[in-house]
Amino acid sequence: MAFTFPWGLLGVILVSAALLGVSTIAILILALTISHNTAVAKCRPKHTPAHLLVVLGSGGHTTEMLSMLDHMELDQSLYTYRTYLVSSGDSFSANKAVEFENKHKPDAPATAHTNSYSVVTVPRARKVHQSYLSAPFSTLECFWACLLVLRGLHPDQPRLPGKFTSPYPDIIFANGPATAVCVMLAAKLLRFLQCIHRFFSRSQSPRIPRLRTVFVESWARVRNLSLSGLLLLPVADRFFVQWPGLGGRRAWWGMQKTEYVGWLVL
Amino acid sequence: MNSSAKSPTTKLCFVTVGATASFHGLLQQVLDLHFLATLSQFGYTHLLIQYGRDGRSVFETFLANNPSERHGIIVEGFDFNTAGLTKEMYRTRADHERGTGLVVSHAGTGTILEALRLGVRLVVVPNPDLADNHQEELATVLDKQNYVIRSSVQNVAKAIARAESKKYRSAGPSSQEAAYTSAALKDQLGFLD
Repeated sequence: MAFTFPWGLLGVILVSAALLGVSTIAILILALTISHNTAVAKCRPKHTPAHLLVVLGSGGHTTEMLSMLDHMELDQSLYTYRTYLVSSGDSFSANKAVEFENKHKPDAPATAHTNSYSVVTVPRARKVHQSYLSAPFSTLECFWACLLVLRGLHPDQPRLPGKFTSPYPDIIFANGPATAVCVMLAAKLLRFLQCIHRFFSRSQSPRIPRLRTVFVESWARVRNLSLSGLLLLPVADRFFVQWPGLGGRRAWWGMQKTEYVGWLVL
Repeated sequence: MNSSAKSPTTKLCFVTVGATASFHGLLQQVLDLHFLATLSQFGYTHLLIQYGRDGRSVFETFLANNPSERHGIIVEGFDFNTAGLTKEMYRTRADHERGTGLVVSHAGTGTILEALRLGVRLVVVPNPDLADNHQEELATVLDKQNYVIRSSVQNVAKAIARAESKKYRSAGPSSQEAAYTSAALKDQLGFLD
């Protein structure tokens, strides 16, 4: 008996694969659009402490970030815990973070201070001169490490002080480095899963906003967004730029626009 | 010929090529008798060069062949400084009778920011060998807004003359802008009104 190729079956498989692909992209776009246009739920009781995660990265990003934080004069009594995310091999940034913390040490005893921040190292997303062939793997590695950090499970992380009820950082603050893309995408994924879970458990009570992301494009970017910036355009909850030509950009119709705020780093 | 022995007045030009990528083009332009003559013409007495990891031989060869009696400029150099270049930059600023000195720098963001913070007069020379053209864009826009002078590698000597007559604009601290961002961060926490 002659074998006839099952063209019909192949057709069915191809069509369903295409449908699956298209619907995944549609759901992704829809989810990102909804997330971008949902206002922050105002349900956090006053005077509750917040956990801030700051992404550092070599190539001037760390210097820019720390000088920005310096000017922002963040309220120490509000952001009582800080996590600094650095890439492996970047001891410069790790040292700078400790230096920054020591400089802004409150007058409280030193023992109280040691448990108010931590420096966590994750694998580098893409090394300088790394081939684009192996880059996806190291990016995945970085993404996985970021997921662990956000869930408080990374080996570098000490236990959070007792007053924190969730391992999730409240705010993730970053400028250019590739690690910022990994950690902000990881945050978005966790928020998506949280949202699905709430939907199926029919939870009605408002949820305290956590894992919120704020991105600042590097001061060196005048006319074009960086690759990190482009990727995070539909992801970051607030997107600030330091040159007027980069203001008002958005990922697609219906999304939040980038905001020009002036120089933050001087 | 040079009065620096009698009078303490100095006018310093500080050139930094950066610590990471080598920038021999700029090094060759400033280690040049024409460049030194231009400096001398505008009353400079000293040239300090941060020549980078692999610039030492170029620097020392020039120094051996051109002793300072020949051009009247005292030339000094070092490879790099891990503690930053704040001190070196600041030395150009000190108010002397001869007028303020000058910093000539590669277009690294950190160096430009540091110069703007210190309020020193800066000539930015983007490295044409680096693929990133955003450094070029940054230098151009800062020149257009009179914060710095942007120069090509070949025209560094001309930039010395331009710097003499340029009205530099000084940049203020970012406190107001930062306060806005700080408030935006707090908004994301969703505190009860």
